[in-house]
Amino acid sequence: MTPEENNDHKTTRRGFLELTLGWTTATAAVAASSAAAVRFLMPNVLYEPSARFKAGKPDEFADGSITFLDAERVFLLRKGNTFRCLSAVCTHLGCTVNETKTGYHCPCHGSVFDEQGKNVSGPAPKPLSWFLVTLSPDGRIVIDKNQVVPADKYLVI
Amino acid sequence: MKPSFLQRTWEGFRDTRVGRSIFRVGLPGSNLEQARAMVSSFLLHMQPAKVSRRALKPTTTLGLGLISLFLLLILVGTGVLLMFYYVPGTDQAYATMKDLQYVVSAGLVVRNMHRWAAHLMVLFVMLHLCRVFFTGAYKAPREFNWNVGLGLFLLTLGLSFTGYLLPWDQLAFWAITVGANIASYAPIIGPKLKFMLLGGNVVGQSALTRFYALHVMVLPGITFLLLGIHLWRVRKDGGLAAPEMPVDLTESLETGSVPSNKTYGLMELAKGTSLQVGRDPEDEVFSWPHLIFRELLLFLAVVAVVLFLAIFFNAPLEGIANPIHPPNPAKAPWYFLGLQELVSYSAFWGGVVVPGCLVTALALLPYLDRSRKGVGRWFARERAVANTIFSLCLVAAIVFTLIGSFFRGPSWTWQVPWKTPAAAVSEEH
Repeated sequence: MTPEENNDHKTTRRGFLELTLGWTTATAAVAASSAAAVRFLMPNVLYEPSARFKAGKPDEFADGSITFLDAERVFLLRKGNTFRCLSAVCTHLGCTVNETKTGYHCPCHGSVFDEQGKNVSGPAPKPLSWFLVTLSPDGRIVIDKNQVVPADKYLVI
Repeated sequence: MKPSFLQRTWEGFRDTRVGRSIFRVGLPGSNLEQARAMVSSFLLHMQPAKVSRRALKPTTTLGLGLISLFLLLILVGTGVLLMFYYVPGTDQAYATMKDLQYVVSAGLVVRNMHRWAAHLMVLFVMLHLCRVFFTGAYKAPREFNWNVGLGLFLLTLGLSFTGYLLPWDQLAFWAITVGANIASYAPIIGPKLKFMLLGGNVVGQSALTRFYALHVMVLPGITFLLLGIHLWRVRKDGGLAAPEMPVDLTESLETGSVPSNKTYGLMELAKGTSLQVGRDPEDEVFSWPHLIFRELLLFLAVVAVVLFLAIFFNAPLEGIANPIHPPNPAKAPWYFLGLQELVSYSAFWGGVVVPGCLVTALALLPYLDRSRKGVGRWFARERAVANTIFSLCLVAAIVFTLIGSFFRGPSWTWQVPWKTPAAAVSEEH
């Protein structure tokens, strides 16, 4: 059969193979390389500061104090012999919040949080996170920013 | 007239073997050569050999697209120069900016030119978009080119945004932090998108590397590809959008203008007193020299304005990026301040839904608005509804931008620009 005779609408073997094998393979190849390129752009190793860090000995923090830890962008709160750790990263767009008399305030878009980190006004959609505070064997406070805990969970010394 | 020194030098060079090998046509003398000069030159062939007088009138387009193109050329020139000094590392980027300001000869002017041309390009691309809308020039057969233009507008914003981080100062750092967090509000893919854009969870070295690669390679590459298509389609879609010719032939003939269907036997029909002497039916003139000369003049004007701004106004550079404390207030570049104002009400609605809907509406516009009326005229009465809707959106965008720019003080509280801000900083410690 010459190619000219192929003009009817019957599926030829060649047409069928083009459609199935040819186009499926081409689509799969494009999809796979795109997926690989996107995955390539997601780094597997980050050279960022560790989310789990030591903050010093408990007696370095005065009773009733709220200490801002710069590098880690968290507040460490001491009340009596209890410790808690509050995120200083605004839940709206990631600016650093400032401590005020009544709670916390974000300078970028004016979100206001109360002393418990709850979003009171402004565009912030969620309360500030509380992080897990533990004590390491060498007697220093350990904060883990990967572990979010309820506001009423304390480390008791 | 005796040929000038410049002319004699040029012709002397053209007559050599080398000159003839480079320039296929000499300086045109006759009409034929004027046409050949346009068609046979690589740089000029993207433009027509003849243009209508209407297209040459400044009020037809205000030259906004051409100005954007010239600004882009200035940005490429100055940008490449800046690349010879700039180092995209968090420990060196800011220092190289200071070097450009204080140590490198003409470094300050080159950086200023780059910054002001970038701001102007965002402005003029926006104005160009408005011009195309208000003259109804997006309608068939130009629907696709309107969308290519929309893509170029978004690329311009992307180029400006990625360039904004590179100086690694406070302004840059926090504008990008805020911008990347807006991206993370996108539904489903948001957080992954932010992670991919920054190459991590926070703005750091990976983010700087990525923004640099996007700014100097990826986005300019796509921009020039789309720009090529954009200019090519302008020609293929029939040049500038022009109004349809009047239906009443007799009336138009009596008033002396001739319809544009190239009916070359019209002289016999003409009733009026003025024959179209020296004019063809489309009222066209040769691009060389009429168009070329005007374009060259406009290019000089654009360079002059950018150079003036660069010499008399310094591009801002704040203190080195401090990842711990944002400046108060932390503001995005002006063209994103309307967006930032919206985001201050709700990050999802203001940062994702509203801009998403606007871009989608603009993209679909030429396919939805299928009436052929009012093409090629400013503020055509037939387009009153479309123009009103567009103007309202435009006014809203301008109002939000103005509020974000001038009426927002420390902590994004309401502030009147002509009063000194209250001691809102006191709550910081």
